[in-house]
Amino acid sequence: MSQYKPKVVCFSCKFGWGYLTDEDALSSKIENWIPIICTGKIDATHMIDAFEEGADGILILGCPEGDCHYQDGNYEAKKRVYLLRRLLESIGIEKERIRIELSIDPEGRRIPQLVKEMSKELAKLGPLKRDAVAEKMPKEVIKARGGK
Amino acid sequence: MTEKITINPITRLEGHGKIEIFLDDKGNVDDAYWQVVELRGFERFCLGRPVEELPRIMPNICGVCPTPHNMASVKALDDLYGVEPTPTAKLIRQLHYNAFMVEDHLLHFFILAGPDFVLGPSADPAERNILGVVKKVGLEIGTKVIEARKRCREIIRYIASKPPHPEGGLAGGVSRGITEEDRKWIKETADFCVEFVQFSLELFKQIVLDNKEYLNLVLNDAYKLNTYYMGLVDENNRVNFYEGKCRVVNPKGEEYALFDYHDYVDHIGEWVEPWTYVRLTHLRKIGWNGLNDGEATSLYRVGPLARLNAADSMLTPLAQKEYETMFETLGGKPSHHTLAYHWARLIEAFQAAEHMQRIASDPLLTSKDIRNMNLKLNKVGIGCVEAARGTLIHHYEADSDGKTTKVNLIVATQHNAAPICLSVKKAAMGFIKGPEVKEGLLNMVEIAFRAYDPCLGCATHTLPGRMPLIVNIRDRNGSLIRTVQRP
Amino acid sequence: MAKPKVAICWLGACGGCDEAVVDINEVLLRVADAVDLILWPVALDFKYDSVKDMKDGEIVLSVVNGNVRNSEQEEIAKLLREKSQLVLAFGACACLGGTPGLANLTTKEDIFNWVYRDAPTVVNPKGNYPQTSSRVNGKELTLPEFYDHVYALNDIIDVDYYLPGCPPPPYSVMYAVSAVLENKLPPRGSTLAPQRALCDTCKRNKSKPDRLAIREIKRIHEVEAAPDICFLAQGIICLGPATRDGCGESCIDINIPCRGCFGPVEGVADSGAKFVSALASILDAQSEEDIARIVDQIIDPVGYLYRFSLPVSILRKRRG
Repeated sequence: MSQYKPKVVCFSCKFGWGYLTDEDALSSKIENWIPIICTGKIDATHMIDAFEEGADGILILGCPEGDCHYQDGNYEAKKRVYLLRRLLESIGIEKERIRIELSIDPEGRRIPQLVKEMSKELAKLGPLKRDAVAEKMPKEVIKARGGK
Repeated sequence: MTEKITINPITRLEGHGKIEIFLDDKGNVDDAYWQVVELRGFERFCLGRPVEELPRIMPNICGVCPTPHNMASVKALDDLYGVEPTPTAKLIRQLHYNAFMVEDHLLHFFILAGPDFVLGPSADPAERNILGVVKKVGLEIGTKVIEARKRCREIIRYIASKPPHPEGGLAGGVSRGITEEDRKWIKETADFCVEFVQFSLELFKQIVLDNKEYLNLVLNDAYKLNTYYMGLVDENNRVNFYEGKCRVVNPKGEEYALFDYHDYVDHIGEWVEPWTYVRLTHLRKIGWNGLNDGEATSLYRVGPLARLNAADSMLTPLAQKEYETMFETLGGKPSHHTLAYHWARLIEAFQAAEHMQRIASDPLLTSKDIRNMNLKLNKVGIGCVEAARGTLIHHYEADSDGKTTKVNLIVATQHNAAPICLSVKKAAMGFIKGPEVKEGLLNMVEIAFRAYDPCLGCATHTLPGRMPLIVNIRDRNGSLIRTVQRP
Repeated sequence: MAKPKVAICWLGACGGCDEAVVDINEVLLRVADAVDLILWPVALDFKYDSVKDMKDGEIVLSVVNGNVRNSEQEEIAKLLREKSQLVLAFGACACLGGTPGLANLTTKEDIFNWVYRDAPTVVNPKGNYPQTSSRVNGKELTLPEFYDHVYALNDIIDVDYYLPGCPPPPYSVMYAVSAVLENKLPPRGSTLAPQRALCDTCKRNKSKPDRLAIREIKRIHEVEAAPDICFLAQGIICLGPATRDGCGESCIDINIPCRGCFGPVEGVADSGAKFVSALASILDAQSEEDIARIVDQIIDPVGYLYRFSLPVSILRKRRG
């Protein structure tokens, strides 16, 4: 039985997700949770950084279509996710590792459930192949520099 | 006691190459190997790329002869998309290509090879470079070389962008046309080139041919190699850089094969040895017969001398006259004298310059009809041109999305790789005799391979062209006995 | 007064960057006068020993082009770093890894198997593969080890300055040279090129509509691109928005879109990721199916976005 427990990073927009619940209370139920103001703020670089920092999957929870506080931040996030998934696919990272859902959940009760569901899916894929994302210092170079 | 001489690194060879010379008990050369020490894998990392991006990626194979790669690539795309470039597009491409030929050949002659002849192979290494040439023949000439190069590269920049890496090139056409205003300076450049190449040829004759010592060097057996020769020819068996059929003649000069380059796989084989990264091409139907020339050889050479050997004549009149003079002087066709490559190179530059003049006067040059948009994707596309250094083949296959699925490249210097090994060995054997290894002999060995202008690399140098040679002499246990260095 | 010692050296390079130095034409002769060029493998005595014999820091400036892909190249890079006060990464390969960095999407084994076994012209009955050491007729011949990965220069040694481009254009080279000679260099770690994106100086910038909205992606050979309208506005992928300025738009001038050889703009580590955001923002799609449809038209995202910079990108390697 595999010991592997997928690490999911969850970005969620405060305008649509969990704003009725105390953030501290909610965060104790969700590992690696990043509540932000508008998913439109999540740049593609942030998503890639998350992978590099150890995420096996990224879940983005934004507001429903037409309901973005900043007009189209959620729409922009969605396009970015699609484009990034296409890029990851072309370098060998499964596109199922990034998910975006545009919906509303004022109490945030669904967030832990969604994270759990995604973890289950990721468990089937296995951990993100670490060497598909750059290590800070590739092994050959460490070795060549005398192991430091 | 077997001794080993290492010449490392050789410069003017991209990514470094080296020469290993092995001496026998008497101190004579037993064996010699020219090794290519680099590989990058273009044929694999181009897979998955949109095939129309390849004319932009392939020039990164070599910054000295990127234009041939760009052109072979574009022609492969023409083939893949089943399309003929418009007449104007073809003229523009040929203008681009000829400008490159002139520039590249002149550069090699003056800056790489010229010093050996202008100053003499045994001249002081500190003098044996373009500066020494300039001192001997005058600063004006040095300036003209730079000017010729600059002007040709302006044409290249105008048609295909930044000269060391042309980015233009589309199936069935070119990306930008030429205006009437531009025709003027293009014509001036062409005229300048014809004049300057003519002058260079005169210089060569004065300095080399009128000098008995040099002429003997050219005809010296140590620089002779009996091989087959390959080059593209048009329907009248005239030298053509841009298109044609592959013609191969045997060491006696008789036509051995005349084939459509689409069938190159039937004719060209690539042999693999564990001591070098470059694959050694040979005539496939004869089969690999080792590093040997002469009767049983399956080796062939490409490049200027080879092209002139394989063809019956040049394309343009002034170049043709020089062609006849050359073979007369060398004692007939084909010529196996490796150093004649330098002469042949200038004659080719002449043809390229004359052709540029022709194109510059062609009324169709400035037409706006530069794209044939009738593209129909096939599975395979093969393009072939004569790069400055020899026959170049790009073979692509793509899927229905136009994504590259297969790439095979036969690069000019590969055809010459085995002959270069042989030439190096012969030169080493011819000049290294007995236990003493004089410094001067190193240059004699360099002269052998320099004639081929090996382009795995870069032949640009404007400064003291001392070859960086370290000769390590070791005993059979590999212990260092002595080191001979160039000062 | 002794002239400053300068070295120009190539690693895993194609020679284009050395040609770029020669492209400064007559100025090169003046430079040769002002400095003591102690190393230029394409032109001068390249003697490891003479460089090895130097004191640390004796070379004022080493101009290094090319990426690192074998053991010999790594050795040379480190030697030069030891002996030099300043190291300038010259050209896309040294700065970013360059086009050959795309080989990081494949493996050494894959390359070797094709080159030495599977290519249609290969004749290799003995199954020979290049070896770092082999015996031929009783003699030993050696080759440097081919790494499984392409590295940019700053993966191997500390780099003081960067001059991007494939290759850097002549005026760029001249600017860098004079900055060094006149001691007018910006802080270490700087890139010697403008800080903003290509669009900033591109002639076609004015032609951009207020809001770019692409509904179709077009490939350059499928259309006759208008020569004076922004490529992105025509649906043709152009990396201008994510690429540092300074090249003079020589590609745009011949009606071909930018492929990013100058690398990312100031302050951005990964130009590809940045471009994802830029491109996403100009896609005009109403529904999810529409987004998917347009995105699927981009047939080689990694190739477009990382053609020159894969070795320094955050997503550097592909395995499995």
